[in-house]
Amino acid sequence: MPPKAFAIDPRYFQVIFQSFFLCYGILYLQWEADWQHYIISVGGCLLFSYAAESIKRKEFLQLAREKSKAKSGNEGWIPSSWGFSVLISAMSLCLLLKVNYWYISLLAAFITVTSKYIFRFDHKHFFNPSAIGIVATVFLTRDAWLSPGQWGSNAVIFFAVITLGTIVVTRVQKLDVSLSFLFTFVGLLYWRQVFILGWPIDHFLHSVSTGSLLLFTFFMISDPKTSPNHPMARIIWAVLIAVISFYLTAFKWKYNTSIWVLVAAAPLVPVLNKLFIAKDFHWNPSMISLRFISKFKTIVMK
Amino acid sequence: MNAFTKKLAALIILTGMIIHEAAAFCGFYVSKADGTLKNKTSQVILVRDGNRNVVTMYNDFKGNPKDFAMVVPVPVVLNNRDIKVVDQQIFMTLNDYSKPRLVEYYDQNPCNQYQYDKLEGKVPGLSLSEVVVTGYGAQRKKDLGVKIEAKYLVGEYDILILSAKESSGLKTWLEENGYKIPAGADEVLAPYIKSNLKFFVVKVNEEEKKKLPGNFLRPLQISFTSPKFMLPIRLGMANADGDQDMIVYAFTKKGRIETVNYRTFSLPSSKNVPLFVKNNFGNFYTNLFQHQWDKEGKAIAILEYAWDVSPKNFVKCDPCVATAPSVQDLVQAGVWWLNRDWTDYSDADNEEEDYSDNVYFTRLHVRYNRTKFPQDLMFQVTPNKENYQARYIVTHPANGNFDCEAGKKYLKELKQRCTDEITMLAYLTGKGYSDWDVVVNDEGEKIMPAEAAYETVSNGMGKNSRRNNTLLFATIGFMGMISVLGFRKRKIK
Repeated sequence: MPPKAFAIDPRYFQVIFQSFFLCYGILYLQWEADWQHYIISVGGCLLFSYAAESIKRKEFLQLAREKSKAKSGNEGWIPSSWGFSVLISAMSLCLLLKVNYWYISLLAAFITVTSKYIFRFDHKHFFNPSAIGIVATVFLTRDAWLSPGQWGSNAVIFFAVITLGTIVVTRVQKLDVSLSFLFTFVGLLYWRQVFILGWPIDHFLHSVSTGSLLLFTFFMISDPKTSPNHPMARIIWAVLIAVISFYLTAFKWKYNTSIWVLVAAAPLVPVLNKLFIAKDFHWNPSMISLRFISKFKTIVMK
Repeated sequence: MNAFTKKLAALIILTGMIIHEAAAFCGFYVSKADGTLKNKTSQVILVRDGNRNVVTMYNDFKGNPKDFAMVVPVPVVLNNRDIKVVDQQIFMTLNDYSKPRLVEYYDQNPCNQYQYDKLEGKVPGLSLSEVVVTGYGAQRKKDLGVKIEAKYLVGEYDILILSAKESSGLKTWLEENGYKIPAGADEVLAPYIKSNLKFFVVKVNEEEKKKLPGNFLRPLQISFTSPKFMLPIRLGMANADGDQDMIVYAFTKKGRIETVNYRTFSLPSSKNVPLFVKNNFGNFYTNLFQHQWDKEGKAIAILEYAWDVSPKNFVKCDPCVATAPSVQDLVQAGVWWLNRDWTDYSDADNEEEDYSDNVYFTRLHVRYNRTKFPQDLMFQVTPNKENYQARYIVTHPANGNFDCEAGKKYLKELKQRCTDEITMLAYLTGKGYSDWDVVVNDEGEKIMPAEAAYETVSNGMGKNSRRNNTLLFATIGFMGMISVLGFRKRKIK
């Protein structure tokens, strides 16, 4: 009997995990939940995306399902053609960005959405929407910031393992970018802190047990639409980002360097795409084959 | 709260906080004798804007000045004019201004027309003056790769700034000079030296000290420019078992500071607590702090106060339990950008016309130890200008008779409120009614109606101070269901 295969839009995985982290933060870590910011980020992103997509296609998009079928073939209850990706970006904004006023949230949502339409090369946007939304808002206004310490370090390694495990099992997204970034960055930190400076190992472990790193590695840099197409190019690009982030963290004493470097390195993506030719990425429900579960079943139950 | 009760509260706090070893803070106080110290809380004022820092370290040493010695890692070699001695009063002012507070409200008997409008603020009498046993070191010259970069006499202190090539050399030099290095400090000397930090070594100059009145040592203030915004607490972690406390008063132009490598946690605030806490506030807060610190995993910095203290802002606290720091106090504390003395030409070569009238104050309380804090504290300045204070509320019940309709309703509400207060007490401090040595000496409490009395109420409750995880699990379950919705079976083509 052929193994059952499920089709799941990979973006579901992202939304679910990000929602989980948000709930963990609000309910367990008792963050001061800025509901205004969350609502405006998500609502604003959806609103601007709807408006932008409508303007682009010169027609009002239907909110109902039928229309979305045409674009991506997924009958999910969220209109995939214009809403899903931006929902993920909005969740990143909720998780990472902190603001003083509601209009800053709105500005962040606006930049996140419109960057996809303004900064394009070869019919593709090249800035990671949430990354540039965050960076531009922090840079342009004096009322936005990031809190790298908001996660604590207790459960982070555990979550990282769960996230990695889920991705490996379901193969819901490619791991080459994430892992090459992670290994390079962590490796460089280890080398510097433990070998060069001589800190004890728990000092190094503390450095890497941060939720921001986890989110960035598995949810931001891995965005397939804004990373290079060819696997080799992706690895080079991820390693480059890791090296520069490390340099800024270790020698210039900056925080949140990865996101800034990601935005700065985004214009490289089209260049790399020209050098290393490969097919563009499109959101498809990826066939997650749970073959190994059937195998496991046959082994156990036989 | 009269003076006696204040002192009593202070005593209760001090006995409540048990800390084991001779502690240091940004650096370490080093001993000749093996002193065991209780209740040591370091205090430090940090002022930061851009890359410029001013750090003021409270010196609570009370003993023979000959025995005092201090070592602090600093990122650059400081100039003479970057080191100052300031009045220790600033620390009392800041502490009194920003400590956790208790607010009292009075209920009005709905059957009477007589109204109580009193609103008072009470504070725990947190006085921080404890003995520090420190070491004696003869001042001798270099060697062992240890170079004396600078040598100053500032106020009553002899200051040396050392740079070292390797940690064993530095360690030997310090030991030879009579500084007994705590065991935990050993493993951080090497990384500090390799990170190019200098060591700011302080001892008391006998003659200068004699010229000054009083038997205390004044706080030292250092200014320097460095991109690092941190407190090197690792050096002060003498003992793997002991917890040490540090209170950080931070001033910035933009907004709150927070730790970036540890979580900054705001205590649950503006909560109603039982009436008997009023006479026990110090003890209550000590327990609250310890319990919350424990519950949140210990590797946290706790926010106790955050407020915009710019001169143009008239409301500096709510309620105010002490005078807010004045502009002069702030300038003393190191807030250079408020200083607008146009007639002062002493800083002729200081080109920065850096005047601004925005000042934001943050008070962080960190309880740290070696296991949970493997790194030095690193901070960032955020534009978060939201005000916060650790504030707890007691409400005196009304008295008189409650025979009228509204009175009976009030009694029911009172009982509910007392139940809630006991629950809140357990949630905040992890202790139930039976754990408290309740001293009833308040008129209002004596005549509390029987059914609403705390004893009655608490007997009907279980001890419940665990975090409520139901909501979290419910959310996860819900999300799980949604994720299942996202699955669609597809025929394999």
